[in-house]
Amino acid sequence: MAFIKLNDLEVEVEDGTNIIEAARQNGIEVPHYCYHPGLTRPANCRMCLVEPHVFFPPAGQVVPDRQLATGCTTTVRTAPPDRKLDGKYDFIVRTDSPRVKQAREDILEFLLVHHPLDCPVCDQAGECDLQDFSFNHGSGKSRYIEVKNVPPKKDLGPDVLLYSTRCIVCTRCIRFCDEVSGTGELGLIHRGSHDEIDIPRDHNGSPLRLLDNKLAGNVVDICPVGALTSKDFLFKSRPWFMKQVNSVCPGCSVGCNITVDYKEDGLYRIQPRFHEDINQHWMCDDGRLGYHYVNSEDRLKIPMKQVDGELVPTSWADALNIITEKFSEADPGSIAVIGSAQGTNEENYLLGKLAREVLKTESIGLFGREPGEEHKFPQFTIDADKNPNTRGARDMLRLDDETALAGDALWGGIANAKVVYLVSGAPERSLDDTAKKALESTDFLVVQDIFESDVAQLADVVLPGVTFAEKDGSFTNAKGWVQRIHHAVDPPGEARTDWEIIQQLAKRLGGEMDYHFAGEIAMEIAENVPDYQDATHQKIGDGGVKLAGGDG
Amino acid sequence: MVQERRILYEHLDVPDINTFDVFRQYDGYKHFEKTIQEYQPEEICDMVMKSGLKGRGGAGFSTGLKWSFVPRDIEPRYLCCNADESEPGTFSNRYVLERNPHLLIEGILICCYAMGISTAYVYIRGEFTLGKRMLDAAIEEAYQHGYLGKNILGSGFDLDIYTHPGAGAYICGEETGLIESLEGKRGQPRVKPPFPAVEGLFHKPTVVQNVETLCNLPFLMGNGVEWYTDIGRTYADTRANPPTPDPNTGTKLYCISGDVNKPGVYELDLGLSAEELIEVAGGVKGERVKAVIPGGSSAPILTHYELECRLDFTSLTLWKSMLGSGGIIVMNETRNIVDCLLNIMKFYAHESCGQCTPCRWGTPWVRDIVQRIADGEGRQTTIQRPKFGVAEGGRWGDTGEMEEVYEDLDLLESVANNIANVDTMTWNTICVFGIAVSWPAVSYLRKFRPEFEAAIREGKLVTLSVEEATVPPEENYAYQQRIVPQLFEA
Amino acid sequence: MSNELIQIETPFQFSDENQQEFDRLIQWYPVKEAAMLPTLHLAQKQVGYISPAVMEHVAALLEVSVMKVKDVVTFYPMFFEEPVGKYVIRVCYTLPCALRDCKLVLEHIKQKFEIDVASETDLAKGTTSDGKFTLLKSECLASCDVAPVVMINDDLYKNLTPQKMDEILDSLE
Repeated sequence: MAFIKLNDLEVEVEDGTNIIEAARQNGIEVPHYCYHPGLTRPANCRMCLVEPHVFFPPAGQVVPDRQLATGCTTTVRTAPPDRKLDGKYDFIVRTDSPRVKQAREDILEFLLVHHPLDCPVCDQAGECDLQDFSFNHGSGKSRYIEVKNVPPKKDLGPDVLLYSTRCIVCTRCIRFCDEVSGTGELGLIHRGSHDEIDIPRDHNGSPLRLLDNKLAGNVVDICPVGALTSKDFLFKSRPWFMKQVNSVCPGCSVGCNITVDYKEDGLYRIQPRFHEDINQHWMCDDGRLGYHYVNSEDRLKIPMKQVDGELVPTSWADALNIITEKFSEADPGSIAVIGSAQGTNEENYLLGKLAREVLKTESIGLFGREPGEEHKFPQFTIDADKNPNTRGARDMLRLDDETALAGDALWGGIANAKVVYLVSGAPERSLDDTAKKALESTDFLVVQDIFESDVAQLADVVLPGVTFAEKDGSFTNAKGWVQRIHHAVDPPGEARTDWEIIQQLAKRLGGEMDYHFAGEIAMEIAENVPDYQDATHQKIGDGGVKLAGGDG
Repeated sequence: MVQERRILYEHLDVPDINTFDVFRQYDGYKHFEKTIQEYQPEEICDMVMKSGLKGRGGAGFSTGLKWSFVPRDIEPRYLCCNADESEPGTFSNRYVLERNPHLLIEGILICCYAMGISTAYVYIRGEFTLGKRMLDAAIEEAYQHGYLGKNILGSGFDLDIYTHPGAGAYICGEETGLIESLEGKRGQPRVKPPFPAVEGLFHKPTVVQNVETLCNLPFLMGNGVEWYTDIGRTYADTRANPPTPDPNTGTKLYCISGDVNKPGVYELDLGLSAEELIEVAGGVKGERVKAVIPGGSSAPILTHYELECRLDFTSLTLWKSMLGSGGIIVMNETRNIVDCLLNIMKFYAHESCGQCTPCRWGTPWVRDIVQRIADGEGRQTTIQRPKFGVAEGGRWGDTGEMEEVYEDLDLLESVANNIANVDTMTWNTICVFGIAVSWPAVSYLRKFRPEFEAAIREGKLVTLSVEEATVPPEENYAYQQRIVPQLFEA
Repeated sequence: MSNELIQIETPFQFSDENQQEFDRLIQWYPVKEAAMLPTLHLAQKQVGYISPAVMEHVAALLEVSVMKVKDVVTFYPMFFEEPVGKYVIRVCYTLPCALRDCKLVLEHIKQKFEIDVASETDLAKGTTSDGKFTLLKSECLASCDVAPVVMINDDLYKNLTPQKMDEILDSLE
C-alpha cells in the first residue's frame, strides 16, 4: 500500500493505482474522457490533469511539479524510505489547485469549440460527461466565434449510429474494438481537427466492414458524449424519466451484471454493470438487445386451458383446480416435474420441494433454451449455454447426472410420465419431433410459461409466469457466482411470479409452504443446500457471492 | 568574418563521394575502423558523454546522457535514425543523404557498436526519394564490402540497416511519433514516460538520433574528445554578451534561408551570433533585417534588436528562444509579420496529428484568429486589462497600470498559451508540438504587436517600417527576461 | 450513407517484381504491421492510388484489420484514395518558399491548367481533365536554400519562376 497525500487528505491506496482511481476511492472527482478503467490509457483528452509534487533539491523542499500530469497515467507506488516526500508520503498530489482548475477550464473550452449545442435532442443528455464536467469544472462561456466543423452523421452497423459532430475523439470506442472485442472495425480517418471515428469505407463512403461484432453495443455505453448512440434506444426516452434496477442478464450462463432501465410501460434499455470477476465492464449485444420479449404484446396474461383442441382463457381458480384434481388423482410414480434453467434458484428450490415433499416423485428434470454457440473474444466470452441459471437450477432441484431428466434424458423421462408439470419461461424454444411426441404422449401436461410457446400449445393447462424483469430472486452462473435479479416492472395482465404459483399449487395439494418474499426462500436455501450457506439475498447484495465449492 | 569549419560537410562536394570507393579514398570508414579496434563500447559512451555532443534534431538533449538511460540487459535494442527532416527552414540532412550517405552509415555503425545494437532503421521522409535511393545504394555497397551484415570486419559485431519511408507527416519527426509510424500506425506521439531509451520501438529500448548527430560521431571518435570540445570553445570565453554558461561543442550545420543573398547550409562552430551568420550568408537581401527565426519555424522569433543573440543551444534558451534544428529564416523590411505568422500557423494546423485535445482544436483556432486578423476582420473592440511590463524591483510582471488591448490579440495569445504556456514553459499537450505552435504565435505577437494592431485598425495587412513594427527592447518580454549569465570559465 | 457492403470485384495482387520487393522488406520487421508504409508505397506505385482492393490485400498481408490500413492511409498525405494525374505537382508553400514567391508559381500552374489546388479529400478539383496533372500544395520540402521548389512525382525542381515552371511542365510527356 502506498501512503499518499491527496489534496488535504492522507490516504492509503494499492500500489499501481492511478490518480483518478485513488481520488475516486476517496470521494474526489477527477474529470476525464479518454480514460476508461477497462481500456489502455492514451492520455489524449488531457482533462484529468493533476498537480504532482516533487522534491526540489535547490529549494530543499517539496514543491508542485513544473508540468501538470495526467491522472490516468500517473500511478502511485510505495517509495523507498529515503525517497519519501516530507518524510512519510509516497506521493503528494493536488487535484484542486488553481493551476489544475485553470487547465480543466482551458481543456473544456477546446473540447466545446466544435461541439454542437444540440443537447436538447441528444440521447446522452442527462448522462453526459461533457455536460457534467462542464457544469462542474467549465467556465460557462466560449470565446470561439469561428465556423464549427460539421462532419456527417454515420451509420456504423446494425445497432450503432455515430453523430460525428458530438465526438470528442477520445478513442474509447476504437480501443474497445482493438482490445476487448479484438475485431478492429473502428479507427480514425483524416488528421488533426478533421479526425473522425469511422468504419473502413471506400472513397465514396460505402463500407467495407460494419461494426457488427457481438460486443458492438458496448461502444455506445463507453462513449462519454452523445456521439455513439444505440438505434435501439435512440429517441426513446430521456434518461431522467427512467427508473433503474440492478440485475443479471438472463441471456446466457455467464451472468453479466446489468442495470435495467424501465418505465411503467416496460423495459427501455439494458446496460452492463461492472463486475471484476464476471463481465468486467461489458456485455454482449444478444443480452443487451434481447430484452424486447419482456415488453411483447404476445405475453401470456391469463391462464389457459385446453378445450376441444384449443387453448381458451380461464381463471386462476379454475386452472389451479383442474391441476390439483389431476395431480391428486395421479400415481406419484407417474408424475414428472420439470424445472427451468431460466427460473431463479428460489423457484427451482420450491419446485423441488413440491416434487419430493408434496407430489412424492423423484422424476425431476430441467428444461431450458437450446444451446447456442460459444463466442470467444480477447477479453470476453459468450457462453454456449443460453440459460442464466442452469447450474443453480440443478443445485436447487438436486439433480444428479444419472437420474435427472435433463439434456438427452429429458424427453424420454417425459414420455414415460403420465402427468407432467413443466416450467419453461424461455423467450423462445422450438421443439423437434422427439420433443413434440414426448409432450403429446402425456395424459396431462401443465406448462408454466411466458408466451403461448410451442410447448405451451401442447399443454392441457397453461399458467402465465413472469420474466427476469418482473421478479426477485437469484441466479447461479456457470462459474458458481450467485447473483441477484430484481423486480423492475409488474407482470402483464394476471401473470404471477413463478414461485408464488408453485407455492399456491403446493398449498392446494396439501403441502406446507408459507413464504412471503423470495428472500425468505433464499434463507431456507442457505440452510439446506450445500455450498449455498452465504447465498442469502442480504449477503448476495449487488456484488454476488461465490459458492463455497468454487469453480466447477 | 567568421570562417566556415567544414567537418561533416568537408567532402560533400567531392564528385561521386556517395560511392564506396571514393568515400574510402577520403578516409571513409577509417574512424569506424579505429573505433572498433581501439575502444570498448563503454569507452565510446563515455567519450560521447564527455564530448558534450547535443542532439541536433531540435531538442538539443545530451546524446551521452540519452545513451546512459538505455538498459543494457534488454534485447534487442534498436536505433532509429531520424531523417524525417521536415521542420520548415531546415535542409541539412537532405544533403548528407543525397551526397554523402556513407558518412551516415559510418555514424550509425559507431552508435550501434557502442550501444550493442544490431538493427537500425533510418526513417526517411517520403518526399526524400533521391536521398532514399542514394542511401539504399550506399547500404548495398556497405554490405558488399563487409561494413554491414554479420561479423563486421571480423569483430563479431553484427548490424543491419533498413531504410523506412515516411509519407508526408511532419509529426513523425517527433521521436515517439516516428516510432509509432515505424510500427505501421499513424504517427501519433506517445505519452512520456516511458521514454524511447527505455521502451521505444516494438516496446524495446531504442535510441533515436538525428542524421546530423550521428554524422558527428565518426569525427568525434576519430579525433578524440579534446579536439571535439575545442571546437566548442571558439566563442565560450572570447565573447561577453552574453556568454554561454556551458560549452556547446562541435560544429553545427546552420541552414539559412529567406531574405539573404546566399542561402544555404553553412557548417560553423556553435555559438556565433545571428548577425554574423547573416553576414556569412552574403548579408540580408533587401535593406535590413526585420526579423529572424533562429531554429526552424517553431522557434520564437528574434527582432532586429536581438541579433547579437548567439545561435547555440544554451544561449537561445536564455533568450527565450531555441536553436531547434538550426534552420534560420531571415525576413527583411518588406515582410509582414502577420502574414508570416499566418503561413506558419497554416502549416501547424495542417500538421497537428489530432491526438490530444488542446492541439487538435486549439491549433486550427489559432490559425483562424490569425487568418481573421490578416483578412482585416480582427475585432476592434478594446477591453481593459492589467498592463504587463517591467514592474517594481525590475521583475517582469503586472505593472499595476491598465492598458487597452485588442480583443482578438488577447484571444490569440490566450488560446495559444492554453495549448502550451510560453511563460511557464508548460504544455497541456502530449508532445512538444503544442509549444511549437504557441511559441511562434505568442512571440510574433508580443514582439511585433504594432503590425498586428495596424492590421486590425486598418482592416487590412499593413507592413510597417522595421522600427515601427518592432516592440522596443524595453517592452520586449524576452529581451527583458533573458538571463545574462556569468562569464564562462574555461 | 448506406449500409450496403462493397463487393470487391477484382482483388489486388502485387506484380511479380513488387511481390519480390514486399517479400524482402517484410523480413526487416519483427511485427508485420510495421511494414505498413513501405507496403502502401509499393502498392501505390503499382496502381497509382490506394483502392479498397489494395486496402483489403494489404490488411491481409500484414495481418491487421482493414480499418487499420484505412486509418493510416488517411493520416499520411502522400497516400491517395482516388486516382490522380500522371504527374503529381507538389508546390512547397511553407514560409521560406513563401518568402521567395512560391505564390507566383502556384498561381501560374492554376491558370495554365485551369485547375484548383487539390485537397486531400477532393483530388478531382486539382486534376486536369485529361488526367495528366494533379496540383497539390505541399508542406516544407526541405530545400529552402533553393526556394521556391516544386516536386513533380519523384523529382525536385529548384529556384523556380513561372517561366521556368512553364518550360518544365511543357517538357513532360
